[in-house]
Amino acid sequence: MDRETRDMLLETADRFFTERCGREVVNGVEKGVWPADLWKEIEEMGLPLIAVDEDKGGAGGTLADMLALLRLAGAHAVPVPLAETALANLLVARAGGVPAAGPSTVALGALTLEGNRLRGTVTRVPFASVADRFVGVAATTEGPKVAVVPAANATVTETPSHAGEPYGTVSFDKAVCEFVGASPADGERAYALAALVRAMQMAGAADKVLGTAVEYCKQRVQFGRPISTFQAIQQMLAELASYVAATIAAAEAAARDADEGGFADGGSFSIAAAKSQTSDFAQRIAAIAHQSMGAMGFTHEHILHHYTRRLWVWRRDFGSETFWGEKIGSAFAKAGPQALWPSLTASAYAA
Amino acid sequence: MSIPKLEFPPFHLPPEAEALREEVRSFLKETLPHIETEDRFASWNTPSPEFSRELGKKGWIGITWPKKYGGSERSFLERYVVTEELLGNSAPAGSHWVADRQSGPLLLRFGSEEQRQAILPRITRGECFFSIGMSEPDSGSDLASVRTRAEAAPGGFRVNGTKVWTSGAHRNHYCIALVRTSGQHGDRHKGLSQILVDLKTPGVTIRPIINLAGRHDWNEVTFSDAFIPESCLIGNEGDGWLQVTSELAFERSGPERFMQNFYVLRELVRVLGRQPANRAASILGRLIARLWTLRQMSVAVAGMMQGGKSPAIEASLVKDLGTIYQQDLPEVARVLAESDATTEEDMADFLDVAQYATMMAPSYTIQGGTTQVLRGIVARGLGLR
Repeated sequence: MDRETRDMLLETADRFFTERCGREVVNGVEKGVWPADLWKEIEEMGLPLIAVDEDKGGAGGTLADMLALLRLAGAHAVPVPLAETALANLLVARAGGVPAAGPSTVALGALTLEGNRLRGTVTRVPFASVADRFVGVAATTEGPKVAVVPAANATVTETPSHAGEPYGTVSFDKAVCEFVGASPADGERAYALAALVRAMQMAGAADKVLGTAVEYCKQRVQFGRPISTFQAIQQMLAELASYVAATIAAAEAAARDADEGGFADGGSFSIAAAKSQTSDFAQRIAAIAHQSMGAMGFTHEHILHHYTRRLWVWRRDFGSETFWGEKIGSAFAKAGPQALWPSLTASAYAA
Repeated sequence: MSIPKLEFPPFHLPPEAEALREEVRSFLKETLPHIETEDRFASWNTPSPEFSRELGKKGWIGITWPKKYGGSERSFLERYVVTEELLGNSAPAGSHWVADRQSGPLLLRFGSEEQRQAILPRITRGECFFSIGMSEPDSGSDLASVRTRAEAAPGGFRVNGTKVWTSGAHRNHYCIALVRTSGQHGDRHKGLSQILVDLKTPGVTIRPIINLAGRHDWNEVTFSDAFIPESCLIGNEGDGWLQVTSELAFERSGPERFMQNFYVLRELVRVLGRQPANRAASILGRLIARLWTLRQMSVAVAGMMQGGKSPAIEASLVKDLGTIYQQDLPEVARVLAESDATTEEDMADFLDVAQYATMMAPSYTIQGGTTQVLRGIVARGLGLR
């Protein structure tokens, strides 16, 4: 979609998330209340189909459009599987399928496919217990295939994430698929795209954490003045801003590279670097924000934890800095010292 | 929410800049092996007049300046590529760096026609090198408190005072000094001017200040009734502060703020060998990811500057992150090499390299604006002060 259309969509979505994803809704999901109305409205706005072609009922947006929306969703701690469904729908559509309505999620792991029956177990599947269906990518002798399994055909053991979202382990035991299609993205690529989605959500959450801490420190009066006037606090928040800036810059650069480089493998190094970077700084961001807000920010009452807990969970999802760092480090070590600089400037794995 | 958005719009360097990158690479590949330097791993503060002359022959010093002053009239982004290639390939770019980065642009913007004609072509040929005469014994981060005075005298000024941390003054030809030309000490930004000082001027004395590593980069430059002709005043009397603040933007935003010790990362790749253990690969990869991010941020800032914006806060953020990264790098690398270097010999050698880098690292968060001063700028941008 063109710039203007995207900006309009983001503006509308921003207003909508502000109104409808307040504290009570986010806390409700943590208590196990599924916000059916919220999901219905999100679907009515067409958001889960943002990157699906128009002839398949989608909004015809690009991967970049989808990622921009999900960064925004991260800035609102949208407590439904919008990110997961948008990605699942994109995978299905690119594999020739027509995405169905309802919340979906991605189950990315070691999966095998025999005919239309899927086998394997995937841990820490986000929103596992509320998804209508699971979308995975399995390697087959005919190449990678996207497989869609209805929730009824899978077994879910719920283990909520530390952000209170209904994560869980999903087992497919010769589960009958409702759709199987040849996929331009293999399992590794699907995992990388999921990591990129998380990096963008983290960029949104990090931005929100900074804004929340800054506003709080301007309001909070101690020793007769707003604590934002103390140099110690100013220095902390400026340092926080630097980590947030790095998080945003890394995620946005990877989003650009993934979008421009093509669905099957675009921006593969940039995605790895961005997920490593965003995960690496998540703790620094959370730590400074909490320190600046004292006991207030540590309460369940305050919204800060909606974002800091998600940063802690998302840094682990779809590969932490350990996982992506290892991929980068192994490739660069293999290529040797002379390849380091040319690879860095090309945003490419050293070869 | 009232805080300004922190955005680093991803930016592609244009094709002509990428084409120039290839030219610079092949030039460096050919030239560097023949250049002797005092540092095992050279960088932007390693002097080599010989190298600067070679670079000048290619037209890559003052590359953005008008042709009539010896420049090549190429874009700011092409300059960006040249600077990052010099850093990425450990070129000894110290002789011309300051002249190319800030003194030349300052003269171009504020200097007289006579000054431009006399100086700029020599800079572009790699024959004229500059030092920065801002700091004084009592004026570091608080630059507006400088005491060096230039009193009006027939045909010019009599200058008295002392500048310190003047890198390269013993090797370079000129220094641009921030001095008080009117008013009293305590008038702060008012009454300050910059003057072009030929470092051979009688009454100008240069004494070494040796740094903790035993290196002689810094100097103390003393002015004792030194006569500076009126033609050496830069711009208008009293405009010194305006000039200095515009210079600092150049001084803070470049890739040298995260690439000064790039050799540590490159040597780390070497000593870890082609198949490091998973844990070592992971730590290496995280460092690479941080450097990649810094470069993306820096390129984004360059793109904003090319687009006519003045991203002062963004530039401060890059320098802050860049210097912290450069201080983390040798420490992380040191520990990693101890556990994971492929041979004892490699490890021992690398530990010397990393130790030297650690020893130099305190300077990163001081030079070009301390981390605390930069964070003050960012805090103002966040609306906190």
